[in-house]
Amino acid sequence: MTVFWQLTLAHMAVTLVMPFLLVGVINRTKSWWAARKGPGLWQSFHDLRRLLRKRPVVSNTATPLFRLGAYVVLVCALAAMAFVPLLGQFAPLSFAHDFVAVAYILGLARLVLMLSAMDVGSPFEGMGAAREAMFGAFAEPALFLLLGTLSAATGLSSFADMLGHLHNTSYYALVVLPLALALLILLQTEAARVPVDDPSTHLELTMIHEVMILDHSGPELAAMQYAAGLKMTLYAGLIATLLNPLDPLSAPLAAVTVAVGLMLGVAVVVGCFESLMARLPLPWVTRYVWLAGWLVAFAALAVGVAGGGL
Amino acid sequence: MNPLIAAVLVLMLGAALCLLPVSNYWRAGFGLASQVLATALVWLAVVPVLLGAPERFVEMPWGYPIGALHFRLNALGAFFLSWSLPMTLLGGIYAVGYLRKYFNSTRHMGVHFGLLNMISLSFVLVYTGEHAVTFLMGWEVAALSAWLLVIWDYTNQKVRFAGFNYLVSTHIGLIFLVAAFMILYAQTQSWYLDDWGAWMSQHPGTIRNTVFLLLLTSFGLKSAFFPFHSWLPRAHAAAPANVSALMSGVIHKAGLFALLHFLLIQGRPDAWMGWALLAFSITSAVIGGLYTVGQRDLKRLLGYSSTENVGIAGIGFGIGTLGLAWDVPNLAALGFAGGMLHILNHAFFKCQLFYAAGCVYQAKHGVDIERLGGLAKLMPITALSFLIGGIAISALPPFNGFASEFLIYSGLFTGDAISVWAKLLLAGVATLLAFVGAVSALSITRAYGVIFMGKSRDDTLPDGVEPSGWMLAPLLIHTAGTVLLGLMPVLGLMLVAAPTRLFLHALPDVAAQQAMQGVHDVLGRVSLVSVAVAGLIVLTWAAVWLLRRGLRQPALASGPTWGCGYTAGSARVQYTGNSFSTEFAHRYTGVMTLLKRQKAPLGYFPEDAYVVTDCVDAVERRLYNVIGHGDESASQISQLMHEDDPRLAFALGLAAVVAISALVVLAEGALP
Repeated sequence: MTVFWQLTLAHMAVTLVMPFLLVGVINRTKSWWAARKGPGLWQSFHDLRRLLRKRPVVSNTATPLFRLGAYVVLVCALAAMAFVPLLGQFAPLSFAHDFVAVAYILGLARLVLMLSAMDVGSPFEGMGAAREAMFGAFAEPALFLLLGTLSAATGLSSFADMLGHLHNTSYYALVVLPLALALLILLQTEAARVPVDDPSTHLELTMIHEVMILDHSGPELAAMQYAAGLKMTLYAGLIATLLNPLDPLSAPLAAVTVAVGLMLGVAVVVGCFESLMARLPLPWVTRYVWLAGWLVAFAALAVGVAGGGL
Repeated sequence: MNPLIAAVLVLMLGAALCLLPVSNYWRAGFGLASQVLATALVWLAVVPVLLGAPERFVEMPWGYPIGALHFRLNALGAFFLSWSLPMTLLGGIYAVGYLRKYFNSTRHMGVHFGLLNMISLSFVLVYTGEHAVTFLMGWEVAALSAWLLVIWDYTNQKVRFAGFNYLVSTHIGLIFLVAAFMILYAQTQSWYLDDWGAWMSQHPGTIRNTVFLLLLTSFGLKSAFFPFHSWLPRAHAAAPANVSALMSGVIHKAGLFALLHFLLIQGRPDAWMGWALLAFSITSAVIGGLYTVGQRDLKRLLGYSSTENVGIAGIGFGIGTLGLAWDVPNLAALGFAGGMLHILNHAFFKCQLFYAAGCVYQAKHGVDIERLGGLAKLMPITALSFLIGGIAISALPPFNGFASEFLIYSGLFTGDAISVWAKLLLAGVATLLAFVGAVSALSITRAYGVIFMGKSRDDTLPDGVEPSGWMLAPLLIHTAGTVLLGLMPVLGLMLVAAPTRLFLHALPDVAAQQAMQGVHDVLGRVSLVSVAVAGLIVLTWAAVWLLRRGLRQPALASGPTWGCGYTAGSARVQYTGNSFSTEFAHRYTGVMTLLKRQKAPLGYFPEDAYVVTDCVDAVERRLYNVIGHGDESASQISQLMHEDDPRLAFALGLAAVVAISALVVLAEGALP
């Protein structure tokens, strides 16, 4: 088996398993800070299996899009993962400007998620959708500026090449910290974690992601939750690739091990955030998401000054 | 006979027949039949040119002082003609359903169909005319016909005002156009556009720059770029749905055509022109996008999204211009092909959205989104078409908006050897474009979610019903186009390839060929992504359905929407359009003017309380403020002056003499 296929299999395995494992590690980190024993690492996997066996209850206001939507969100999240470098400079599918496809496939998932929320005609779920739309509109430009900076810094064009090759360029030391922090903020925004959103809250007025899926149940709820985990895996993988110094094509085993270790490390950091700070008030969340944009803009300026002079 | 001339004659004959004293059905029939015939004739001329046949040229003798009329059908004009006429025909078919109730009234329907014919006629004149007079004539015919079409409901004062607003704006644009034409005529002593182009390509410099800015302003007004858009939302809200659709999707593309035409003939552009076009376009895209967020009227919302989408196409042309200025064939090909493909795609999905809005209007007698709701169950075909158009307009896969924006992004994230700062600036434009995409996803979620989902918010309105086949057929044809051009964007490239090649004519053949191949490859990958996403969704849904059947699971349980413990909720507690957008809109009050009128509940048993938020156009508001101030100061001045005072007449006469002599001196005797 060639290295490409080995890495593809590893990529698939990481994609499928990490959503459970990352949630498990975050929850264990939180329980460690709280000096509790905490749920097992695979608790979210068991939750998912339980949900798959349940019979869904659908609101009588909903249209067929409501149920279809959950699967569209899941399929889009899975499809996007095929282009995303998780293990260093490698992605199973890769072509010039594939990152635009990733962003827009995830955009389709976001649109359908918001529409599923609006579909039941509830006052709460519309609120979640409005917030998702707003924070999405702030997070997406930051991601594109980040990609443009990478493209200008490396001169390459595919997602995996740009992100995985950055450490070979002279800009790396300048931009790695702001970019990693920006990606962490984007992870917290897109995967609905503290301080942007609190996945374990029970007050509808403060929720973003959870309030959108209030009416989902059974397999559809499982699809939505797994898709959210996939999004977290995506961003954790991007951070891991940014920090991963190894080339997966020459040293596959070491690179994959380091990548998985780094992703779990990201989960620990996210868990520490959740243990040590509360969710921000909503007006502050906007500023927090904007912070990602400012960090990336700083990195872009650094690349411009270092590469083109003033 | 040349098929284009035949088409013009057929359209004129059709328009005349529409005015005959026969029943309205006959008049509509004459109009539509002549449109069908003209479309076929135009296709006869256009398709070979698009497929690579040499361009057609016709010279018609004409008397002094105009001189011989030249008509030239090149690939650029052929591209615009190839879809403009059939889409106008579809608009006419839609009108039969939409204006059905007037057919048996005393209203003269022939005028409407005759004007649609004149619109088609103006396309032929503008897209092929090479003589300034025929070009301006076509330009005016389009403007006046569109104005008369907009004021269909002329007994309504608001509609007349919207029409007048449009008429004035479009003629302000004409002033800039005529100014540019006068400069060019003074330099070349010729009325022909190709002579002007030859002059401009040999004389880059201040005069060419002035002409470029004048033309950009004029065409910007025609295509409703920000800040020249303020006429557009009013006109689109006032016009019948088919006219709004045609204006937004087809007629205003004439501005972009003219921009492209002058970019094509003016020779190698300067880099600043590309940057200016980029800045102008991205501003339009961002501000148009932001304005869609706050609108209550669905047709106004769609109108603002036209400003957004011409901005996106303009970004493509800006990239293309930069590519020509820098001699980077890839950039030029990606930019122009992306921009033109976006024009085509926008024509498909924008008409589709306006037609769907018209279906809603006909069923509910209004498109105020705060009073609608739950229409997806009653009007499933309309709802599905609107949703597909909405996904396409947000540039999301698997529909056609994604393909053209992907080309534009490929240009913005270019890997070609340009300076780091230029790359970062282009990345900045891409960042704003991503913002625009996310904002239009917000608007479309809001519009679709509030209008078609949930429950009806106002029981006093009639029930929603699907409209007649006359309206559904154009809607579905546009929907099919949107889907097809999304899954197979290479089909769109077949139309766009020849005009894009025109822009690369100055480059060596091999380089141009490679650049076009590059565009083709990009669209091939887009096609793969779109087909894969669509296919995976269909397969997954089929698998879920089969699994549920195979496992013989009990039927789905159904229940009320989760009310968080509150069981007496009514349809009025649903999230409204305003509540959806208010949090976002309040961050951009610098751009959008949000007017709030409210009456708080008073006392223990309040009788009347309301809050109304209107998102009004900041440019228009500012304009009227300035005009209002101007009015006041003018009347103050006139109070100070006495009309019978001879000193006033002498002073004015002196000023006129000075101005005329200054003009003569400044023209350096250039006039013959």
